[in-house]
Amino acid sequence: MPDTAPSNGRLFVANRGEIALRTIRAAQALGMEVVLGVSAADRDGLGARTANRCVVLGPAQARDSYLNAGLIVHAAVSTGCTALHPGYGFLSERAELAELCAQEGITFVGPTPESIRQVGDKISARAMARAANVPMTSGTDAVEDVAHALKLAEEIGYPVITKASAGGGGRGMVVARNAEELAGAFDQAVMTAREAFGDGTLFIERYVEVARHIEVQVIGDGKGGVVHFGERDCSIQRRYQKMIEEAPAAILSPAVRKRLHEAAVRLLASINYRNAGTVEFLYDTTTEEFFFMEVNARIQVEHPVSEAITGADLVQAQLKLATGAVKGFAQKDVHTAGHAIEARIIAEDPDRDFIPCPGRITRWSPPSGEGIRVDTAVETGTLIPPYYDSMIAKLIVHGNTRVEAIDRLAAALDDFVVEGIATNIPLLKLIVAHEDFRSNTINTRWLETVLLPAFRVQQGR
Amino acid sequence: MHLIVGETDLFLSKDRNAQTQISLTATAPAVPALSHRASVPATPMETPDPKPHGSKIPSGWTLVKAPSLGTFYRAPKPGAPMFTEIGAQVAADSELCLIEVMKLFTTLRAGTHGTIREIYAKDGELVEFDQPLFLIEPDA
Repeated sequence: MPDTAPSNGRLFVANRGEIALRTIRAAQALGMEVVLGVSAADRDGLGARTANRCVVLGPAQARDSYLNAGLIVHAAVSTGCTALHPGYGFLSERAELAELCAQEGITFVGPTPESIRQVGDKISARAMARAANVPMTSGTDAVEDVAHALKLAEEIGYPVITKASAGGGGRGMVVARNAEELAGAFDQAVMTAREAFGDGTLFIERYVEVARHIEVQVIGDGKGGVVHFGERDCSIQRRYQKMIEEAPAAILSPAVRKRLHEAAVRLLASINYRNAGTVEFLYDTTTEEFFFMEVNARIQVEHPVSEAITGADLVQAQLKLATGAVKGFAQKDVHTAGHAIEARIIAEDPDRDFIPCPGRITRWSPPSGEGIRVDTAVETGTLIPPYYDSMIAKLIVHGNTRVEAIDRLAAALDDFVVEGIATNIPLLKLIVAHEDFRSNTINTRWLETVLLPAFRVQQGR
Repeated sequence: MHLIVGETDLFLSKDRNAQTQISLTATAPAVPALSHRASVPATPMETPDPKPHGSKIPSGWTLVKAPSLGTFYRAPKPGAPMFTEIGAQVAADSELCLIEVMKLFTTLRAGTHGTIREIYAKDGELVEFDQPLFLIEPDA
């Protein structure tokens, strides 16, 4: 199809599932045409039918389709695309994709390759945060071996946590409460990091025992102008994977919230960050201190809760900025109202240790109504393939207060009907009904240490 | 680098000058000039039907499909004779076409003895994964 892109441009969407569909609709609303690159497993999906054109990149395996940067950029060039949106996951934080786009004259909807590299390496990101005077837990640069690790941990003070320099998601992360635990776990952590990221480099940080995960949504104009869209509390996690996210983080005092926003903006302004990004912090509830964790150089799964409280469309904002339709955003134009919560609907069976449950959805009846939004690309009859992440939808609710949002979420979960496959909806209902969640006294370990044991008792095991 | 793995040939080069020997990109018609984009009103995009036209495929005939998305080339370089034509006899190791992805060329071979009965894709066009490219009637 060598033809000419419309005046608003033609976007290549290099992703799948709900974020692909979300991005297609955002681009079409801005007058762009959209080409979606899919694997053979997704050729008949809602995304493929919604895009102006769909091309099949390769077989179902992500390695030969969604993870092949050359294939994706070739498809974008050959279909006359002027811009490329990477979504989240897959190649979204690989500098290689942004570089290939630049070489071929395609606008990458995201940060520069240099920024992606700088924030993607956790040790260089720590150096960046130190230079920008952003609070961090005491920690180290690259650790050479067990003996080095023990020496450094002694200086920092236990408990400590090992982290992989090359990536996140919990891989390479081990909490050690004393020298014996650190010595016993170090080599395994190096191996896990090497397997996951191809780089076994670790560093060590002081471990915050009772922590909340709080992050700030920002958009940078690439010239040092950075605007934040408030913060999110993503403390309900299982194995470092978020399950419920809220905006704002109700636990913060106004003074701490202001300092947190300023720190995130200062950090990304210091590297002239371009497009959407998130600065993640650990928040120590007892001391009211926050500590820089990492930067996610992409749109995130949980961005809709920030949209719900600000009224912004962050994906449209990404596209407008990348295509030059706007030069930037002004902080004075960003206002927040009410409270929003997102629950991730995942095709996993909490009754069977969260085993992924691919299969055919025989009935899909999501909730709807005031203050309810569902982002998904599945429908009745959709086959959930076994090759990819098992999140199939995001349920987002908005209310005037946190209590109203929680009540709305509880009602929406009761109305959510999915048949044919198992999902985590029963577990989400239990979380939302729990006193600790309602009183907002949870932390990042609460789901695993408090809720799941109670859930297993309820399920009779 | 020239790799032959099973039925697949791979030419790999990071040297842009190496294109003169193995690459067709200089004249590739499927790649629109960047400077021509975004200035002309939109033309509607149509998704081409990737299925072969016409009637059903006779049983025992072989459909050769694209191993991935890429640009389809029927000749080893611009101006050179086509690898094959409708009616031509091919052997299992006969070269049928090149599939290019970002200057990396994969040679597609017939994989069977027979006669080319259909060629579904046009030289220089983008083909998708699994798209039928050639129909071969096997030797009796």
